[in-house]
Amino acid sequence: MKKSVSGLLVVGVALALLSIGPGQTPVRAQAKTATVALYADAVTLDPYDTNDNLSLSVERTVYDGLVGFTPDMKVKPQLATSWEASPDARVFTFHLRRGVKFHDGTAFSAEAVKINFDRVRDPGQKLRRYSLYEMIDSITVVDESTVRFTLRKPFGAMLYNFAHPAGRIISPAAIAKGGAFLARNPVGTGPFKFVSWAPGREIVLERNPEFWEAGQPRVDRIVFKFIPEDASRVAMLLSGEAQFAFPVTGVQADAVAKTPDVSLDARWSIYAYYVALHTQRGPFRNMAVRQALNYAIDKNAIVKVVLRGYGRALDAPMAPGVANYTQVQAGGWPYDVVKAKALLSEAGFPNGFPTVLWLGNATETQRLGEAIQQMLAQVGVKVELQPMEAGTLSAVRFKPIEDNLSQANLAGWSPSTGDADWALRPLLGGGTWPPTLFNLAFYKNAKVDELLADALGTADETRRAKDYAEASRIVWGEAPWIFLYNSQNLAGVRAGTTGVYALGDGTVDVREATLTGK
Amino acid sequence: MSSYLVRRLWQMVPILFGVSLGAFAFLQAVPGDPARLLAGPDATLQDVQLVRARLGLDRPLILRYVYFLRNALVGDFGRSFRSGEAVAAIVARHFGPTLLLSVASVVFATVTGLGVGLLQAVRRNTAPDYVSTVVSVAGISTPPFFLGLLLIYLLAVGLRWFPTGGMGTARSLVLPALTLGAGVAATIARFARSSLLEVLGEEFVRTARAKGLEERSVLLKHALRNALIPVVTMIGLQFGFLLSGAIVVETVFSWPGLGWLMVQSISFRDYPVLVAEILLFSLQFLVINLVVDLLYAGLDPRVAYG
Repeated sequence: MKKSVSGLLVVGVALALLSIGPGQTPVRAQAKTATVALYADAVTLDPYDTNDNLSLSVERTVYDGLVGFTPDMKVKPQLATSWEASPDARVFTFHLRRGVKFHDGTAFSAEAVKINFDRVRDPGQKLRRYSLYEMIDSITVVDESTVRFTLRKPFGAMLYNFAHPAGRIISPAAIAKGGAFLARNPVGTGPFKFVSWAPGREIVLERNPEFWEAGQPRVDRIVFKFIPEDASRVAMLLSGEAQFAFPVTGVQADAVAKTPDVSLDARWSIYAYYVALHTQRGPFRNMAVRQALNYAIDKNAIVKVVLRGYGRALDAPMAPGVANYTQVQAGGWPYDVVKAKALLSEAGFPNGFPTVLWLGNATETQRLGEAIQQMLAQVGVKVELQPMEAGTLSAVRFKPIEDNLSQANLAGWSPSTGDADWALRPLLGGGTWPPTLFNLAFYKNAKVDELLADALGTADETRRAKDYAEASRIVWGEAPWIFLYNSQNLAGVRAGTTGVYALGDGTVDVREATLTGK
Repeated sequence: MSSYLVRRLWQMVPILFGVSLGAFAFLQAVPGDPARLLAGPDATLQDVQLVRARLGLDRPLILRYVYFLRNALVGDFGRSFRSGEAVAAIVARHFGPTLLLSVASVVFATVTGLGVGLLQAVRRNTAPDYVSTVVSVAGISTPPFFLGLLLIYLLAVGLRWFPTGGMGTARSLVLPALTLGAGVAATIARFARSSLLEVLGEEFVRTARAKGLEERSVLLKHALRNALIPVVTMIGLQFGFLLSGAIVVETVFSWPGLGWLMVQSISFRDYPVLVAEILLFSLQFLVINLVVDLLYAGLDPRVAYG
């Protein structure tokens, strides 16, 4: 009896040891490997079915888009060398790079572009990024290196949708193998080729010697490691096991900055944080109340205490890094408790009122909630904090207005296209109340909707910028939100590593990774 | 004996059936819409509905459960909402790391715990007893999260003896196994000490000593064997908990086991993976309980099954 039990254990241990075995092939000593520690595993490597920043970060390394983003989120050429848009923003023509090959050896062409976008805009494919491209009516292969998109309706932000990291060009030969294959086996034209993916552990990529850009890539291998625990991720950077770690939390920032051979890389994100106030119900229907709350919050104190200085007060309904942003009020809504109290008295709430704030349950989020709670208490508004786990929070937030019990919601948003349209329309457009999108304030203003529609109807960037500036001013004054702050992305980098950085949207770009010295 | 085994194994079937029904119903009751979570907050309603249809969540609950049962009976637990992979393959992949970590921790904890417990019982109320008692109480009370980070910063970042995390060579197993095993070792030590002291006061021990047996033989052959029964039960139970994935330790050490998978699956409301994990955990407990019962028979000749 005892024998068989110990036998069972031996078999178990042996099996477990076997599972640990493969995937450990040592790399050539002189090969340059950049190890990048990130906070979660990728979900899929099919860009058109991706909505998480981790998957997008890996996809960006293997794939190219027609256009991409620079580190400060400006549109730049990739597989398209130049492009034109018709004045009514309905026809977009791209001139493509010649002589580019996919990692499987097949040639990149206008036909490949057509196959990719025909796939995503087919609702039968049920891809998660369908909405980004569903407005495409037809795609014409003009010649081998020219492709033309015609939209069903004008869409002025279309170039940003093409630059969106989901809009990558996959080898048609790989597409032919089906969605399940693509999710695990990315085949693109990017600087690195896919080698392996051990779920929960790492994704390994190797250099593409035939990459189209001269002098790139500069390292032999990229290894993405997935380290969910913040302190463990930083430990990996400090011990030298990783060259780059993202994100570093505000609490760890000082320790990272002080360690020799490691530096803190702080870059402006395009995240805007705010408290959405339910504008259709209760005290927040009154604009004066909403304005009072904006006066009552000391944004600079929040930046200093909660963000340890790595942020700045919002001065418009979107972050300054968003394309077509215009500043509305320098320094944000002024902090003025006296004015806040006066406005509340005028509105009929001289002694304030109780309200409930929904928020996430991450430590930093809760600390932010407590700061808001304390500041609003100064003007008599008694805030009850209701932190919730992400899935629950999402479920209660996305209920339609008749079932939606929200009063105030602490939220953050980064427009994944990098453009003002996606910073305003999903959050403040009259047609985007839950469950459709994320307009948690249930805000609706006919003039704002008109401006948003006008901006989408033109490819004239000057006119678009003017529309968004005007819409921003209206929103700012009517205060459907308490406008809080725009944060910085914090990453840790080891000395000798360059070309790896977190973009404003929270994805990571390692395409130009360079290692010098050790 | 074998008929006993067969009977015990058969009893597991209705239990597992009940667990599957409970898990299915419970997950539906938890707030959270997998389709919205998968599509993301910036997905339009249209995208969310496409995802919902793809996941089969547009079908009624009863129908989904019936399909699940029919497929589960032939070993098909469906596909992950999150990645689209076969659930059986995902769970199998994360089972290896958890089994490895659990076995390593239990071996470490048993050897250390029994050793310390024995020492404490023999040298009762002396300095070594007091010191190791303090250490084991500290071991029980130290949160694994803290102990893990402490070990990482001392031994991985500072001395660079071990990797900070991840599953790679045998070295990568040391710190997580120590962290996970520390509390268990301390518990075993406390149990072994009190159980041994109790046995050492019994008459058969006096008899053994009286007939002139060496103290060593009295201790190891007579006392320890009798003292082991409650300890084995406890080790079995602890092993069961460890096999359900040590969520905190797996997270701190980026260990791709079942606990890690559980956290991921909960945050995405990945129902198929969660149901499979819950079933697996139940099965593990049933099997371990059975093994513990069988071990009793090995340790105590009075126990027999027929």
